[in-house]
Amino acid sequence: MLLSDDHSKGSLCRTDDVAAFIEETQYALGEGPSIDAYLSGRSVLAQNLRSLSVPHWPVFTPLALDKGIEAIFSFPVRIGAVRLGALNVYRSETGALSTDQRSDALVLSDVAARTIVSLQAYAAPGTLSQEIENGANFHFVVHQAAGILSEQLGISVQDALVRIRARAFTDDRSIDDVATDIVNHVLLFDNDLSNEDKD
Amino acid sequence: MDFMPREASIIRTLVELADNLVEEYDVVEVLCNLSDRCVETLNVDSAGVMLASASGDLQVVASSSDAMRSLELFEIQANEGPCLDAFRSGEPILNHELLQNDLRWPRFTKRALDDGFHSVHALPMRLRGRTIGALNLFRISQGSLTANDVLAAQGLADVATIAIIQHRASLEAYELNDQLNQALNSRIIIEQAKGKIAESAKVDLDQAFVLLRNHARNHNLGLTDLCRYVANGTISSVSIDQFTPPTPRR
Repeated sequence: MLLSDDHSKGSLCRTDDVAAFIEETQYALGEGPSIDAYLSGRSVLAQNLRSLSVPHWPVFTPLALDKGIEAIFSFPVRIGAVRLGALNVYRSETGALSTDQRSDALVLSDVAARTIVSLQAYAAPGTLSQEIENGANFHFVVHQAAGILSEQLGISVQDALVRIRARAFTDDRSIDDVATDIVNHVLLFDNDLSNEDKD
Repeated sequence: MDFMPREASIIRTLVELADNLVEEYDVVEVLCNLSDRCVETLNVDSAGVMLASASGDLQVVASSSDAMRSLELFEIQANEGPCLDAFRSGEPILNHELLQNDLRWPRFTKRALDDGFHSVHALPMRLRGRTIGALNLFRISQGSLTANDVLAAQGLADVATIAIIQHRASLEAYELNDQLNQALNSRIIIEQAKGKIAESAKVDLDQAFVLLRNHARNHNLGLTDLCRYVANGTISSVSIDQFTPPTPRR
């Protein structure tokens, strides 16, 4: 589930009608676990929606229970200060996620974050999965380069990440290499987007 | 032999760190302070903290120097070295002297020697049977840590572990993986902000970090909070306190 401060929104992918309900209801109401996870940057874990001790959402919760959702978990999808949305998981029975499940969810949210950046950079199909298979997260140099580029071009860090990503695809180089060139001021971007592969 | 000042200094460090953990605190900042204090109190030249992400790979979260950070990053990329071994085995690596033609970590050793380091120590950060990272201590000169140094170092590694586990623990029952994920994301926020400040203040990334730490202290802000505001544009990069007077570094 993608979220943004200016209320634009979108769904990256969902598995069934209930998942669609979870997203659409939260968009409509402006409340719910994903919105809390997005805003706080922390996992939101409601293992029993009927319990008063879990974070509760006065309108969302009864609607969710009607749909047969008994437990819901949201994990922030973000890259540093860049907030992209939330990964939602729900259960039709109450109960906490196991440590392994939570750990998997955190890994998946990182993959989701990178997928979003790649999609925005018009990645060729398969490029990202290959990259993720080859290991490792973005290295620090990528985040430093995103900060530098954001300042140079007067764009957000998120847009800067996408520009770096796109540049790596266009030049068929690794994102680390492109980022290193930016940090060393070897590679300068043109503020005129027409020279880039982004419209 | 002046044991007393050393011990007093170690005790002061532990008290200071424990004091940090009472109220709302910034995990990365605590770990950066810890790295700096290790250098001051233990007989080492550089110190750094690495943490494991949910997928199990190690990342550098705090380093007392730039040379240390780049060597630690190299270690992770080369996938060999004392910190990785301490993390994987859960056992400390103590007083390991680096010698040419090292067979255990050939690539790491060559790079470390090039960087001027001659002996290394790595202490696992453990919690309830699980290793969550490592505290790394590198020395320029050869020589050993005393038994007391080792005890103190392990004490500091334990404090670092508590800093991660206890962070906001009172607010919600977060699990270890959430806390680690949070600490690692904080580090990413800081790198993004460093990039912005380096560009706007025309300084290098290390100086940008110093500026951010100083500004956070001067304005009583958490380091990660400040960096988040800088990275998302809530605080303009140009409004960050500059060096006065300019301090040439390097």
